[in-house]
Amino acid sequence: MTRPALPLLPLLPALVLLPLALQVPLLWHGGGLDLVGRFALAALTPSLDPLVLRSLLEGLGVTVAVALLGWITSLLLGLLLALFSARVVWQGLLGVAWPALLLRRLLALPRAVHELIWGLLLLQVLGLRPEVAILAITIPYAALVARVLGDQLDGLPREPLEALRTAGAPPLAALVSALGPPLVPALLSYGGYRLECALRSATLLGVFGLGGLGTELRLTMQSLEFRELWSGLWLLLLVMLLLESGLERLRRRWWVPRRLGLVQAPARESLRLEAPAALGGPASGRELLLLVLGLVPLAVALAGGLGLEPASLLRWRGLPPLQTPDGAALLALPWLSLVAGTVGLTLMAASLAVGTAPLLLLAASPGRWPRLLLRAAWALGRLWPPPLIALLLLFVLKPGVITAALALGLHNLGILGRLLLEAVEAADGGAEEALVAAGVGPRLALFHGRGSEVAGPYLAYGAYRADVMLRETVVVGLVGAAGLGSQLLEALSAFAWDQVVAVVAALAGLTLLGEAISDHLRHRLRPSG
Amino acid sequence: MPLLELQAVQVPGRQRPRLDGVSLALAAGERVALLGPSGAGKSSLLAVANGLLRPAGGQVLWQGQPPARAAGLRRRQQARIGTLWQDLRLIESLTVQQNLNTGRLAAWGWPRALLNLVVSVERDACAAALRQVDLEPSLLPVPVASLSGGQRQRVALARLLRQQPTLLLADEPLASLDPRLAAGLLQLLLAQAAPPKALLLSLHRPDLLAGFDRVIGLRAGRICFDQPLAALDLAALEALYRAEL
Repeated sequence: MTRPALPLLPLLPALVLLPLALQVPLLWHGGGLDLVGRFALAALTPSLDPLVLRSLLEGLGVTVAVALLGWITSLLLGLLLALFSARVVWQGLLGVAWPALLLRRLLALPRAVHELIWGLLLLQVLGLRPEVAILAITIPYAALVARVLGDQLDGLPREPLEALRTAGAPPLAALVSALGPPLVPALLSYGGYRLECALRSATLLGVFGLGGLGTELRLTMQSLEFRELWSGLWLLLLVMLLLESGLERLRRRWWVPRRLGLVQAPARESLRLEAPAALGGPASGRELLLLVLGLVPLAVALAGGLGLEPASLLRWRGLPPLQTPDGAALLALPWLSLVAGTVGLTLMAASLAVGTAPLLLLAASPGRWPRLLLRAAWALGRLWPPPLIALLLLFVLKPGVITAALALGLHNLGILGRLLLEAVEAADGGAEEALVAAGVGPRLALFHGRGSEVAGPYLAYGAYRADVMLRETVVVGLVGAAGLGSQLLEALSAFAWDQVVAVVAALAGLTLLGEAISDHLRHRLRPSG
Repeated sequence: MPLLELQAVQVPGRQRPRLDGVSLALAAGERVALLGPSGAGKSSLLAVANGLLRPAGGQVLWQGQPPARAAGLRRRQQARIGTLWQDLRLIESLTVQQNLNTGRLAAWGWPRALLNLVVSVERDACAAALRQVDLEPSLLPVPVASLSGGQRQRVALARLLRQQPTLLLADEPLASLDPRLAAGLLQLLLAQAAPPKALLLSLHRPDLLAGFDRVIGLRAGRICFDQPLAALDLAALEALYRAEL
């Protein structure tokens, strides 16, 4: 028995569907089945009441503004931090690498804590203000951007830099001209991806009460006003699809690598694409500059529209009285089952998302219409913040790890599925065509042809996504009994600060461990040579 | 009954037709070289022959039958036509044996196809196919990506043999090979095309015609000549490659 061949690997996680299919009937209570029916029907008859629409549009405006501002600040801060956490920069300027390594270690903490936790903690300190949501997005995003771009910088070949240095160029000028241009494709690709994430995060923060459309969605869901809920969802879908297609168009126009490609081989990919890309050309350089310059007035206008007062971030509210930490009570928490719950939740959700996407793609494949339908279903999955999917599932399922895993998995299935489809459509179809010409059925040909080509990068991206899902376990904590996330939300509502600190530390530790494992997996999945 | 027949096949292109009224017939046992300069329409002709390209006009007949409408029947027709691609189109992440077995996918269903990715399937038949192309069976568990160029050519040919086609098509299989390898591969291909099989092979240079029965000259989507090798008219050959004025 040998190791299963590469094209087969993406399908293996789908085996998790078997135990899930056995478990779901046990969790079924079916009490709210009529509610689910009403919910589904309401999709076709969203509320068109002008009052409802106006308040939804206002909420959407806040969410989009928060997303954009959080994205802009995190990108600027992240780029700066990336420079300071790249070994090549320190070595080029001062000849030593240790400050880069130190900063990298320090940035692990903001990165390991999910934006929702930052948001809920800042909410306690600063009160309900739009600045809180923006800051909550900025902190972890900046650290993530710094890590990815810092890795990119260190992965670039050093030869051009050395050539400039030996030719006598001053250190800073040499760094900028040798490393700047090759970094641009990665910056654009990852930056675009981060904007999509920021819209999802801003909506999610709203679901937990930080304002914007998410808050409206949660309220209409809980008051069972499904028609109003759907008005909000359709609006959000429109914005999401516009954003995604706009970014995709820019990526194509500027020859920016897709994310799957970027994850596969960061440095080489960006280098390979850099040469033929119009990026080097003056036209797109000008376009890029215009875009960046256009963002400045946009940011100012948005900040004005939200009534932001950056100074208010310094005015801390008095914290609620802190009790002395109760060590015995902390130790009495069921740590083992909490950690096991979180890990199990992550593994189930990740297997569900990673394994089901290729399965569904194969099932939907020969025809054009099934593929379009699948694309639409995936868009709905991405659109729904996981806690709302969880609330919907709670209408018919009992709370617990599996219900939480289903919610998280379905949301991420929408994200992974779209990427997989994009990658499959961009892949070279030669081998598939050869099989079709030899009389092989369309699904088998797709599976062996393009499937083999994208399997490696897809799995590598899946490993990265699993890492993201571990971080996200906290957002489905509200279904209850779902590991550390549930415990954290409980502790927060009970103002048990010692517990909050301990659980956040445990989550952060787990996230960093998960990150290390996922990095290791990705390196192994990267094609050699 | 010819194995393959094209009747007045028309394939439109951007500026001028890629194939413009091409008719030809290929009988069992025939070994035919398709000659023509780059852009003459050789690849289009082969794509029409193996069913990848549906002509806008004219007709294709496989063993006297037009392509079936039902997908299953059509695939069974296509399985009898094997193509050796210029870029080989091997699956890089699979081993030699797994690649050879993809030649059988048209005949297998999903269960055996998946099994091929996990355990060793039909090893003896794969070893026999490798020996036919002068490769050692010890290569079977080796990943295709680690083979040399010449070995890859032969593995692609062995995969074609696993498919057991009656009509062999080859799209410039010799173009990227050094002369010694090219001659060797050509011998293997010609040897495979004994009756009841047939071979249609495209070439862009007329220096490897020994061993063929018939030569067809294609230029700008039209057939310029279609003669037995023995009677090949050198003036016609020259005209095929003469630059357009």
